Amino acid sequence: MLNGVFNAFYQFEVSFSFLFLSAIGLAVIFGMMGVINLAHGEFMMLGAYITTIVATHGVPLIVAVPLAALGVALFGAVVEILVVRRLYGRLLDSVAATWAVGLIMSQGMLILTGPSMQGVSSPFGSFAIGQTSYAWYRVFLGVVSLALIVFLYLLFMKTRYGLRARATIQNAPIARALGVDTARMYTVTFALGSALAGLAGGLFAPTATIVPFFGTNYIVEAFVTVIVGGANALIGTPIAAALLGGIAATLGTEYGLYIARVGLLLATIIVIRVLPQGVTGLIDRWRMRPIESRSTR
Amino acid sequence: MTDPVAPKGPLLVLKDVSKRFGGLRAVSDLNLAVRHGELRCLIGPNGAGKSTVFKLIIGFERPTTGTITFDGAVIDRWPRWRRARQGLSVKMQVPGIYPELSVHDNMRVAAQYHVKSGQMEEAIDRLIARVGLTGLERELAKNLSHGQQQWLEIGMALSVNPKLLLLDEPTAGMGPGETEATARLVESLNADGVTIMVIEHDMTFVRQIARTITVMNLGRVFAEGTIAEIEANQGVMDIYLGRT
Amino acid sequence: MRRGASLLTAENVAFVIFFLFLLVYPITTDEFSLLNTAYFMAITLIPLSLAMIWGKAGILSFGQTAFFGIGGYLYGIYTLNVLGSGATWIGILVGVLGGGIVAAVLGWFMFYGGINDVFVGLTTLALTLVLQTFMAQTAGDEWMVGEARLNGYNGMYVPQISVGDMPLFGRPLYYLYFVFLIGIYLLLRWLAASRWGYGLLALQENRPRTETFGYNVRLMQVQVFGLAGCIAALSGVLYASWGSYIDPSSMGLTAAITPVIYVAIGGRRSLTAAMISSMILMKLSQSLASTAPEYALVIFGLLALLAVLFVPEGFMAAAFNAIDRWLFRRSAVAPAREAGDVAPGPRPGELT
Repeated sequence: MLNGVFNAFYQFEVSFSFLFLSAIGLAVIFGMMGVINLAHGEFMMLGAYITTIVATHGVPLIVAVPLAALGVALFGAVVEILVVRRLYGRLLDSVAATWAVGLIMSQGMLILTGPSMQGVSSPFGSFAIGQTSYAWYRVFLGVVSLALIVFLYLLFMKTRYGLRARATIQNAPIARALGVDTARMYTVTFALGSALAGLAGGLFAPTATIVPFFGTNYIVEAFVTVIVGGANALIGTPIAAALLGGIAATLGTEYGLYIARVGLLLATIIVIRVLPQGVTGLIDRWRMRPIESRSTR
Repeated sequence: MTDPVAPKGPLLVLKDVSKRFGGLRAVSDLNLAVRHGELRCLIGPNGAGKSTVFKLIIGFERPTTGTITFDGAVIDRWPRWRRARQGLSVKMQVPGIYPELSVHDNMRVAAQYHVKSGQMEEAIDRLIARVGLTGLERELAKNLSHGQQQWLEIGMALSVNPKLLLLDEPTAGMGPGETEATARLVESLNADGVTIMVIEHDMTFVRQIARTITVMNLGRVFAEGTIAEIEANQGVMDIYLGRT
Repeated sequence: MRRGASLLTAENVAFVIFFLFLLVYPITTDEFSLLNTAYFMAITLIPLSLAMIWGKAGILSFGQTAFFGIGGYLYGIYTLNVLGSGATWIGILVGVLGGGIVAAVLGWFMFYGGINDVFVGLTTLALTLVLQTFMAQTAGDEWMVGEARLNGYNGMYVPQISVGDMPLFGRPLYYLYFVFLIGIYLLLRWLAASRWGYGLLALQENRPRTETFGYNVRLMQVQVFGLAGCIAALSGVLYASWGSYIDPSSMGLTAAITPVIYVAIGGRRSLTAAMISSMILMKLSQSLASTAPEYALVIFGLLALLAVLFVPEGFMAAAFNAIDRWLFRRSAVAPAREAGDVAPGPRPGELT
């Protein structure tokens, strides 16, 4: 019985961290600029490739993954400056443009490195409870997810960058009038989102095959989580990842992967229709409820 | 000009209309009636609720309580397009032209369902000429000067042969010459039988055109009367100076 | 000078050349190229449908391939179950109407639910993936509709369009597809020039303002979306019948994005540019696929990126406009007068 409980919890945790890590980079960019980066999957792919290449040359994973995050961050900054910056205010066009960037990246990687690459194996091994064995690495990913939530909270709430970022998200023109360099803010935030994508890609690299279309495994789930979570990456994304993780884990164990994915997609469509701002919208509405209905201090 | 079979009853009635936004009462128990053929000015200090009244009439907001009757029909649950087809036309404060379409196409969009297809081009040319933009048909609306854009929009608002025309600060950004031309246009339209309601801050303009003035304050009708009565009303002066 | 009524534009000239070329093409070429071009014509219906909703009404849908798939599968299911002469033609109708109805329902769900702009793209993409994912796991024997095995990624066999007992092939097939393509194109051109079409242009720019001019915007969005769904479904029917085959990859991510790329490169505001560019790009893609496949997509990606960044109206559409301005002096316009000089607005006495 306890095995069953632990198993369920483990499945949930795996789903949650998978969704959260896939989505957080996308969410940060969407939350700040409203841009849907359709190249997000390819950014993750880049992180996976950098990690793999560096790790197969003897660098330990603990260094390789952050290195990949940094590399993708720099790449993201370049993409923002060359492409995304010109398309603020033209959201549909930024969707098409970032998709094109992603296409160039995946095909480019195909040309540069071929159809696949020797991967690295996942560290830490496994443990068993009863008849079932579990991978430590997957548990580790859950720990990393939680650590990331704390890190982002500290970053957005306790640093000067975070303050300026929140100001820009709330009201960019006023922030600019108060001296915030919003153009640089957008570049830095896009780089941050890219770094998170690269980080996720690097973390997932030991668990998947390293192919140029690596990103396609995660992109759908990332989008679903961002849409359900809404623009607030700090609160919306983790809650959405938890909710959807629960749905996916339940459906997955009962009906298999295909139906799990269908369930997630249908949930997304419903959320778009009923709650277009996602969980963030719910929270905002709760925050802005009429004064009379709040309990008195 | 009087119509021998003049319709009875006012054209537009707002009865006990209130609009709340959360805890804020933008409009409170408002009662307003505009008769056929009137030229009504709606004035009042900032925040009095004038633009909200327009939004309620057009359908960008729903009243929290009360009813709005237009041309005999209770319209406060109607979608915006249905109110427009009933004969309501509006020119809001924010620019309501289509910047990426040409002047010609802008006018076509506004007028096309009110013109027979065989006469479309002539009608559009006439409407463009009426607002003094002949020669600019192919120009994109975003390339026009501010004044020209205002005129284009007034032309578009008129092209639907409205029963009631709502103008929200039509002279915003205009100089004295343009303001006077607008005043004359509004008067001549009214003389042709178009009922017009205008929100304005420019008292020079209001004096040039006003027959009846409604003064709003804090979401309610504060006073109503002719320009002379309103100007003699100390209370009106007080609310503008914040002395309530 | 009568404005807005001249037919002599670069766009129309290009169409006439395109039409004549396709008309006489069969005489000059072999069976294989004929069938290949028929295939292109069938697929071009998707970018054409996208140009209508994206270019005219501002609705970016990644779901046209979903309707493509629905059309193809419905056609297959019908024609596998109902035999006899004329069944394939009714099958075409079933496929087209089926796709159109799904599109209309989805459109109602979205537009009457307040979903617009970017979220339309996301919703349609999600729907496409739902369908693809669902169909992908239909490989088992239990997945049958009457006599039709859905077959998952193994693909479903689909009967060809037939006259009586004879399946169409060669020139008759080519000309049938030609008639469909040109017919749909002309229908869309006519609709775009109608009052309804102008209304679409307006609602693309500003939905609330357009409502205040009396347009039932949400209904129009559903109408154009449903129409585009019918056209995309027809494309699926023609494709499935052409190859006697359909599988879920026709509803995947790549299939969903490709028409958007073609239309972005060629020109979404011009139906003609979208149609001709798509045919050219498909031919290009095919040639590159045999010689250097990876480069094909990189080049397309690059072209699309350049188009979106620098030539947002699309390369071919921009060329049409440029030729019009230069050759036919269409936009000889007086510079906009400054507000300072002659006061804009009517002169006294001009108002009647």
